[in-house]
Amino acid sequence: MMKGRSLLRWAGLLIAVALVSVWGHEARSSKAAGDSAAGYADIITIDIVGEMGSTELPPVTYRHDLHTEAMKKLNKDCSACHKTQDDKMSLKFMRTEDGSVAEMKELYHSNCFACHAEQAAAGNNTGPQDGQCRSCHNPRPAANSEWKDVGMDKSLHYRHIAAKTIKVDGQDVNCAACHHVYDETAQKAVWKKNTEDSCRACHKNAPTPVVEGGEAMKPALNDAAHLACVTCHVSTATAGGDTGPVTCAGCHTDEAQKQYKVVAEVPRLERGQPDATLVTADNLKKATLPAVAFNHKLHEAALDNCRTCHHEGIATCTTCHTLAGKAEGNFVQLEQAMHSLKSQASCVGCHDTKKQDPSCAGCHSMMPASSASQQSCASCHNTTGFKPEELEGMSNDVKRAVADAIVAERPTAMPTFRDEDIPETVKIDALVDKYEASNMPHRKIVKTMIAAVADSRMAAGFHTDAATFCQGCHHNSPLSKTPPKCQSCHGKPFEPSKGDRPGLKAAYHQQCMGCHTAMKLEKPQATACADCHAERTN
Amino acid sequence: MHRRKFLSLLGGAGLASAMGVTKSQAASGHSFNGYPDAMGVLHDSTRCIGCRKCEEACYQVNDLPKPEKEFKDLTVLDTKRRTDAKTYTVVNKYNTAGLEHPIFRKQQCNHCMEPACASACFVKAFTKNSDGSVTYNGDLCVGCRYCMIACPFSVPTFEYDDAFDPLIQKCTMCHPRIQEGKLPGCVEICPKEALTFGRREDLLGIARDRIRKYPDRYVKHIYGEHEAGGTNWLYLSGVPHTELGQIEVGKTSAPELTSGALGAVPMVVGIWPVLLTGAYAISKRKEKIAQEEKAEAVRATRESAQEEAEAALKAAMDKATKDKAAAVEREVKKAVAEAEKAFEEKLAAAQAPAGEADTGAGESPEEEA
Repeated sequence: MMKGRSLLRWAGLLIAVALVSVWGHEARSSKAAGDSAAGYADIITIDIVGEMGSTELPPVTYRHDLHTEAMKKLNKDCSACHKTQDDKMSLKFMRTEDGSVAEMKELYHSNCFACHAEQAAAGNNTGPQDGQCRSCHNPRPAANSEWKDVGMDKSLHYRHIAAKTIKVDGQDVNCAACHHVYDETAQKAVWKKNTEDSCRACHKNAPTPVVEGGEAMKPALNDAAHLACVTCHVSTATAGGDTGPVTCAGCHTDEAQKQYKVVAEVPRLERGQPDATLVTADNLKKATLPAVAFNHKLHEAALDNCRTCHHEGIATCTTCHTLAGKAEGNFVQLEQAMHSLKSQASCVGCHDTKKQDPSCAGCHSMMPASSASQQSCASCHNTTGFKPEELEGMSNDVKRAVADAIVAERPTAMPTFRDEDIPETVKIDALVDKYEASNMPHRKIVKTMIAAVADSRMAAGFHTDAATFCQGCHHNSPLSKTPPKCQSCHGKPFEPSKGDRPGLKAAYHQQCMGCHTAMKLEKPQATACADCHAERTN
Repeated sequence: MHRRKFLSLLGGAGLASAMGVTKSQAASGHSFNGYPDAMGVLHDSTRCIGCRKCEEACYQVNDLPKPEKEFKDLTVLDTKRRTDAKTYTVVNKYNTAGLEHPIFRKQQCNHCMEPACASACFVKAFTKNSDGSVTYNGDLCVGCRYCMIACPFSVPTFEYDDAFDPLIQKCTMCHPRIQEGKLPGCVEICPKEALTFGRREDLLGIARDRIRKYPDRYVKHIYGEHEAGGTNWLYLSGVPHTELGQIEVGKTSAPELTSGALGAVPMVVGIWPVLLTGAYAISKRKEKIAQEEKAEAVRATRESAQEEAEAALKAAMDKATKDKAAAVEREVKKAVAEAEKAFEEKLAAAQAPAGEADTGAGESPEEEA
């Protein structure tokens, strides 16, 4: 009797242990799954004390939008946490200036705890209380940041120019609302027409002095942008006007950015920029090639911001990029600034990526990388340009006029041969074996390809000769109305003396299929043999 | 034999075997860089369109059994396949993240420069030929299937459905055709030269050249250049090779990894029995000698004891004989003396009475002796 009871007791104990371990395991796994799901754009790391050298506790991870919403429910606004000085809301919490470590610690603790305690007493769902240190000082918060960089593109910029809710006293344009330069006589930031620049031109990653050696500091880009954008949005919204986002998630999420209204036809910016300009070397005595006329107007329309080419601030290329290179330009020489394949800011680098467009990729994806020829140099440094010695002493106005004239002469359509000069069909029958000969509609293909780039000024500008286009397929051939046929070079496969040159069959297939794939043509499929050459029956 | 002596002998044998390992490793050819003019095939998956012509050509040139679905049927590509005893090569389709079109990769025997199958085969049924191909001789095969285990690419396959003479099957790189100056079947038929045939050295040059000329098209890795010690079949791809089902196999060939251990096997098998038998024989012989010596000693002791005993016996006997003789003599003397005395007494008496007492007294001492 006793033995049976003790056995029962042991079994009960074992089952209990098993249940607890299963429950414990489940609890762990469900938490892990929850971690990866959450992602917010409003996670801010507060490390003011840490930056002063204290290592007592890890920085605080704080969710800003969560607090903005809570304040809204309590009928409070930004001023509940942010103080205002000289009509400007401070981005710092409950202060306008930082204090000592002890002061900062006290400021955060007393204000955070006071509000949380008050809300807890009122029965509201609120944040951690005094003593729950690790709830805020949590180096590994449960949520992931989905913060995304945001930029002012041409469309967004135009919407600010056109916004009725932005009004600058005494001005009929909105520029002064954001753009300013420091006026030394007035000792304050004022708007000066045609000096408008990117925010980055003056506001760097860290605060910098307004005047060299002075005490007054320009805020860092991060602060400057939030001061300008968020405070304006908040005040406009308070006044009841139509305005932009005021929350972190409103600007810094992929989702929000996708929902921005895009103005398709943005009028050209008015900043005194030229329609065309001559890109000349800083030292004309050392320059050797003819100056390049740059169609500024065309490129403005093709890009959705100025920053792609102008990096931080608006200046001529040669301000920083000289023939020899200098510190301001990170020692990138003028030649590299214009021709580097790796940079999107260089002419060649950007043009090269444009070749990935399906209408271009048919030919260009088959061409080896960096296969520049003398011919490609002359496309820009052409003989109609002015030689360096002719440019010396030429005024800027004359240079612009010269550039305008050169640009105006450039073709707007790609030169092509007349229809009758393009063979209508090409019969491919050299390898007839299992399949019949293929009647390639040569002219139709050529004309379709030309039509695909008919609107491209880039294609018009760079395919300088009617035969240039033919070189897409008739590669390695000189410019000619009657370029060599495929058989002229391609024959038996895998001849060691011919290196990697494909045999005739592969040459045809690689060229046709490669181009079709690059141009994203669905039909004929690469594996649909009979679509190009019927299967032989006998 | 003494325990210490035995242990030191054993240690010596161990040292000898260790030295033997080093030697065999050096001789195992881990610096073998392939035959200089070995051929190979370069598969460029950016060119492959998944038409399965190579599979069809393989079936034709190798007289393989007809598959269930015909080669034109491209729906076969929807499932991942592997090579088997009736299929020396398969093309698989891979859908990789970030690409709108699928990628195709042909797979078959990679024809390793140092084939693991050949090194694992203890009857030498596999041969690495100077043309780069790895071929198999079914006449030698015992069906152990060690090659299947050894191959890092899971290539050799077994005819499980053949009950009487099951053989290993795999791609031969069309070794017989290469010998005739022809191209491998798959290479010859490929419409896009997704397969390039040539000297392995030239193919590496071609592959590097393609990567250099079209840096955006390829990842900078020629699979097979170093994998498993280098293979004669090489691969180029636009995505990491692992995404096309190519395993990470390391740069060392399987034979190089195993030759040290396997090289020691003949040594261990050959020398250790001799050594141990020798040690055993020596100890046995010593035992035998000791036994013989002991027996000899026993015999000697026994002999000397016997001699002594005999001598003692003899002495005792002699003494006894002597004593007896002396006693007899003494008794005789005594008897003679007594007889003489008696005679004299009788004589004296007879001299007195008569002569009859004289004769009787003369015979009586002789009767007593």
